[in-house]
Amino acid sequence: MIKIGNLKKEYISGSIQVLALQGVSFTVEPGQFVSIMGASGSGKSTLMNLLGLLDSPKEGTYCLNGIETSSLDEVGRAKVRNQKIGFVFQAFNLLPRLNALENVELPMIYAGVKPAARREKAMAALERMGLADRYHHRPSELSGGQNQRVAIARALVNDPALILADEPTGALDTRNSEEIMGVFQELNRQGATIVLVTHEPEVARCSGRILRLSDGLLVSDEAVQQPPVENLFSIPHPESREAVI
Amino acid sequence: MNLGELLKMALINIKGSKMRSLLTTLGIMIGIAAVIAVVAIGEGGRSALNTEVEKFGTNIFVVYVRDGLRAGDFQMSDIQVIKSAVPQVKYLAPANSISPKVRGPRKEISLSITGTTSEMASIRSIEMKSGRFINEDDQVNSRNVIVLEEDAAQELFGAADPLGQQVSIEGDGALVVGVVRKVESKLDEGGSKSGYVPLSFISNMRGIEMIFYMYGSAVSKTTVDEAMNSTVKVLERRHQNPKHYSSESMQGNLRQVNQILDIVGIIISSIAGISLLVGGIGVMNIMLVSVSDRTREIGIRMALGARRRDVLIQFLVEAIVLCLIGGLLGTIIGYSGAFAVAKIAEWPPLVSWGTIGLAFGFSTAVGLIFGVYPANRAARLDPIEALRRD
Repeated sequence: MIKIGNLKKEYISGSIQVLALQGVSFTVEPGQFVSIMGASGSGKSTLMNLLGLLDSPKEGTYCLNGIETSSLDEVGRAKVRNQKIGFVFQAFNLLPRLNALENVELPMIYAGVKPAARREKAMAALERMGLADRYHHRPSELSGGQNQRVAIARALVNDPALILADEPTGALDTRNSEEIMGVFQELNRQGATIVLVTHEPEVARCSGRILRLSDGLLVSDEAVQQPPVENLFSIPHPESREAVI
Repeated sequence: MNLGELLKMALINIKGSKMRSLLTTLGIMIGIAAVIAVVAIGEGGRSALNTEVEKFGTNIFVVYVRDGLRAGDFQMSDIQVIKSAVPQVKYLAPANSISPKVRGPRKEISLSITGTTSEMASIRSIEMKSGRFINEDDQVNSRNVIVLEEDAAQELFGAADPLGQQVSIEGDGALVVGVVRKVESKLDEGGSKSGYVPLSFISNMRGIEMIFYMYGSAVSKTTVDEAMNSTVKVLERRHQNPKHYSSESMQGNLRQVNQILDIVGIIISSIAGISLLVGGIGVMNIMLVSVSDRTREIGIRMALGARRRDVLIQFLVEAIVLCLIGGLLGTIIGYSGAFAVAKIAEWPPLVSWGTIGLAFGFSTAVGLIFGVYPANRAARLDPIEALRRD
């Protein structure tokens, strides 16, 4: 469970203090699929960085799976990022010199998993993403959708308590976006807790709950009836789900 | 991250930019090659020199007079006095020499003849090929006998056995009583043919007892200086002629040569050191470029759970691996050079593990010293900023 209490964050831009988050509170139950929406400058990226423990708040509490993160030092936060959080980025953020399997293995290297076990788990994660036969391909040899699925496999591989996706479809075309959102929905059905940041309403509608931010404040919290992914995007692609799980 | 992972990662990144990596390691390569070559050539030369010196005997010393030898400067009676006064002296032999024409049955040659006593054989580690060396009786009875070196015997007698035969030295007959083996040495190349006679032989020929110098041998390597210096002191006292006598030892000569080798080594090592310094700066520069190029990678790694320490160590290992590759190539080049020189100089090329260890120690140290700053810079990056970078 994620519990955020009165989270505040400020930046100093030049000589001006900008309050990026002015006190945000919400709770995410395990197994929920939450979208965070907002225009640029609304504070959603800041919130994402705080949820991902890449940054620390000025004020407020952030409790992840019973761990009060404000008490953690750099090493402790790295450990939580490694073991409790799975990141999915807009630009995939795979290492170009490593192949798909090695990329998926990366979080486990920092977790100290032994090579044989690591390989096996990474292979299983790739298989889950339908990419087992592409394990030796480098990111440059894979399509955008495939790369994002490698990135999702990497996010899943340490069995995180929370998957944090930052505009995961931002660099993808419609067809691949549908495919990736289908993957997230399937993961959610299998029990994964997902927090996704987006500015695209179609993407947000794939989740079960939408939080809207504006000027650093939470302005709405709306439950969504998850429709099937085919109907979410403007152009329907009946074949789009065939590659998914 | 364990060492295996770190090395694998470092090699992947170094392989990713082969040309850049190779050029970066050039300075290290040259530095290490220079160090290896100098040490290997120096050690090889030293060992060759020591081998040569051992052929003549490492404990040898010689005492001579500094300016103008006069009759009576060395006397036969000095020998007993010195040997009883200086316990470090094991053998002591007087010597004089002439270079006359010597006629044998086959032909006449010029021979360098040393007049001495039996102890010379022990001092100069002379090995008999046949017959015997000159002995006490020869000296006491002023016998006209001669011991030839094998090449001189060959020239004078050809295939015939020279033992018991006569040679003519400036008209005086001398009986060949022994043939000694020639010491093959690079220190004495193109040396003239030589032979030994009793000291009295030459004294009688010249009509005056003349001792030009004294050859001695100390009881051990470590007492050569003492033996030599004490011998000089005794002579000075006995002849009441301070500063008249002087001495030299193989050890002393060896020390001088070694000192010169040391100085040459220090000079080339300094140049190597500068090369390593420049190489290290090159490595630091390229690592800084690498950190800047791979800022995003660093951000990704941090997001995936790398601690700052992990990032620091990763880049440090990469710098060290880069230097070690340079060190390895430098070692190969350095040894190739040393082998070539050794081949030409006919030395044994010396490959010591210590030198290889030294090279790798240096490489690691350079990588460590010049890798710290870039690695630290990588570790201090803000993951959010780093992830935003292209």
